[in-house]
Amino acid sequence: MTDIPITAVATSRSSSTLQQFQKPIIVVLSLVAIGLVYVGVLSTFQNATTEDEILVESTVGQLAIWMAEQTENDPEEILSPLAQYADAWANDLGEDELDSAILLDVMRNGVVIWSGLTIALLLMGLVVLFVMPTQSRFVFLGALLILDSFLFIVPTLEGYSTVTLILFAILATLGLLLISPGKTTRVLGFFVALSVLMVAWEASKSFADSIGYKITVPQASWEYETYPTLDDALIALEDGETDYVIADRKDLDDLMLAYPPEDDAEAVPLENLRYLDDLDRAEGLGFLPIQPEFPGRLTVAVRADTAGQVIAVRELIGSNVSTVAGEFADDRLLQQPRSLVLLDLKILNDLNLPHLQMIAEAFLQPARRNGEFLLVRILADAGLYTFSEAIVGFLFGALLGFGLGALFAHSSLMERGLLPYVVASQTVPILAIAPMVVIWLGASPLSVAVIAMYLTFFPVTINTLRGLQSPQTQQIELMQSYAASTWTIMWKLRFPAALPYIFTALKVSATASVVGAIIGELPSGIGDGLGRAILDFSSDYSLTSTPKLWASIVMAATVGILFFVAVSLTERFILRGYIRNID
Amino acid sequence: MTHEKADIAISAKDVNKIFNPKTEEEVVALQDINIDIQAGEFISLIGPSGCGKSTLMRLVANLIQPSSGDLKVNGKSPEQARLDRDYGMVFQAATLYEWRTVKKNVQLPLEVMGYSKSERDSRAQQMLELVELGQFGNHYPWQLSGGMQQRVSIARALAFEPSILLMDEPFGALDEFTRERMNLELLDIWQRTNVTIIFVTHSIAEAVFLSSRIVVMSPRPGRITEVVDNALPYPRNFETRERPEYYQMVTEVRELLRDAHEV
Repeated sequence: MTDIPITAVATSRSSSTLQQFQKPIIVVLSLVAIGLVYVGVLSTFQNATTEDEILVESTVGQLAIWMAEQTENDPEEILSPLAQYADAWANDLGEDELDSAILLDVMRNGVVIWSGLTIALLLMGLVVLFVMPTQSRFVFLGALLILDSFLFIVPTLEGYSTVTLILFAILATLGLLLISPGKTTRVLGFFVALSVLMVAWEASKSFADSIGYKITVPQASWEYETYPTLDDALIALEDGETDYVIADRKDLDDLMLAYPPEDDAEAVPLENLRYLDDLDRAEGLGFLPIQPEFPGRLTVAVRADTAGQVIAVRELIGSNVSTVAGEFADDRLLQQPRSLVLLDLKILNDLNLPHLQMIAEAFLQPARRNGEFLLVRILADAGLYTFSEAIVGFLFGALLGFGLGALFAHSSLMERGLLPYVVASQTVPILAIAPMVVIWLGASPLSVAVIAMYLTFFPVTINTLRGLQSPQTQQIELMQSYAASTWTIMWKLRFPAALPYIFTALKVSATASVVGAIIGELPSGIGDGLGRAILDFSSDYSLTSTPKLWASIVMAATVGILFFVAVSLTERFILRGYIRNID
Repeated sequence: MTHEKADIAISAKDVNKIFNPKTEEEVVALQDINIDIQAGEFISLIGPSGCGKSTLMRLVANLIQPSSGDLKVNGKSPEQARLDRDYGMVFQAATLYEWRTVKKNVQLPLEVMGYSKSERDSRAQQMLELVELGQFGNHYPWQLSGGMQQRVSIARALAFEPSILLMDEPFGALDEFTRERMNLELLDIWQRTNVTIIFVTHSIAEAVFLSSRIVVMSPRPGRITEVVDNALPYPRNFETRERPEYYQMVTEVRELLRDAHEV
């Protein structure tokens, strides 16, 4: 017997050999990265005093100040472990309150050591490159991870180029990872992509900062005359001293007829004046808007004989325009500078897209003003609560899905009859179903679990059905040749054959169940989960709550990803013998 | 030939099989099949594609039913024979269950039939040693070559000691070299176990080398045109293939096949 078993199926795909030109490039790139880290982070923080903005405003600096402030509280009220730690520290020093300078000092040293570690790793990568070339990637990956972490620590401040230097250091390290030899592992790929995303995030913010959010072109401004009262203005209009009076439509409506005329017009005091009812209010040049727009409730009074001549607001510019002192038109519209907006980077301002450091800082700030607990604690609790709802929904959904799939695989009548309803159930938006479930089952975590189940059972049903039907004819005939019962065929053949399909569905369902739980929390009014946190932080649309909203999003994503990873690991364990499971 | 009734493993009398009867797609797969196969024989069914040799085997296996005629397996109806687990089956593909180790695959029929754990273990090991795969019990099927996989499926078919082994082009997907070695091993197993083997093949050389009788079939409608006794003496080995009698036999079967095709 000379057969050799084919045991080594997965060979490393990309362990490339080192080319001649690669080593010098790697050496140069790592020296550049080391220099950038040294200048950007290490020396900046080493020279920072405890009053220096870059330290105080950094994530760790803000944390230090919060910890110090917490020690001012009555010892009984200190609930957070971090605050308790700071309090115990103060007691060790023989003080009641901890001076924030002490903590800031520690934090600064921490950042300096952390950046020193980056430099050490980059140097080590260089050494490894010459000793064991294929291992150098791991070392450079470690350096990349630390560099990424700086984006969450160091604030973007005017007068400091630290963040920019970190971005360039990350780019250099990415280059190192790409050209250094070694295996392309899943972890490596993940963090390379993540780093590229974060660099793109911060780079686009720098771009937005540099062009000041807007590029505008000034336009001809209004020239107008202000009268003390509406009556004065209208008399001036009748006398021909002015051609147009801009005023509140409701005031004009009582005094004059509209143009174009209405059918059932009543008698009005001023018969020879009209207000323009059908005015083109849009302003702009082609598709580019001019701000501010002509506000909605303002309109224009004209003499009846000229009423047909004006059809658009833009025609008023340069004419004899009047308004009334204190009117909205006088206060806001006419006094505003008119500008043509060429570029408005609305999505890149701090309100919409905060710096990564601001999100990290939001995690390490009190959830509410003067709150005892940091947001990270509140969100972790909320995430755990949502996860507990999601996992119940997931389990019930998986069971229901498996049951339905097995039923459909067993009976084609059931499949033909019920499958359309199962499909139809998924076309009804979850947002419409969720309140209905709450009405039926009451506002409880049970309702939330049921809503999560509603999203999870469908993929499991479809894939179970498909999996149970996946065995080939010969595999079934083999069982029949053993005179196996339908039940035996189910458990010895159909079910094991369906497992890879079922696990594929379970991975989809794991993430869907978290989405379902978050959506389910909204109509049921459950305040302990992530749904409420997201709702809270999105309703208050401000510079302080946007990073918190992002923090909630990050937490929701983390819960979903962890659930997915848990199901994936279970799959790897259970399907370890399956050929589909080998990479 | 006179044999005791109990010695006849399979007997077919006027067996017909018509697929989609009385429709436009009606196909007469088998017509007037008459054959008696004695216990312990090695019978090859040979013929071109569509001659119904696989259909005949599936009739014996009770995976499909005859349209008319009388078919007996070990003196019983094919269904009863299937329920009594009188035969084991080997398909062209090894048809191993990918999630089971080699040993667990061999144990599959034993599990279905309710053998005890200790007996399952000992029999599986015994069968794997019979096909010379004793040390591969804990491998998964995808870790084995095609020839090794097919040997596992033979071990699986023999694990519950059926009196009949039905083999549907078992070595059709293997290369020539592996196929010849598998042929030798199969003969070895046949002689050690005394099992009756019905062997479907496309290969004249394989049929001549292996079998004690060769059933030549022709297509449209599928029927038996000739049953040839193979006088080559057992045990057969590599040298058998170089003997003039072997060549004569191969030529004879080839001519029969050609005649059958021209009818």
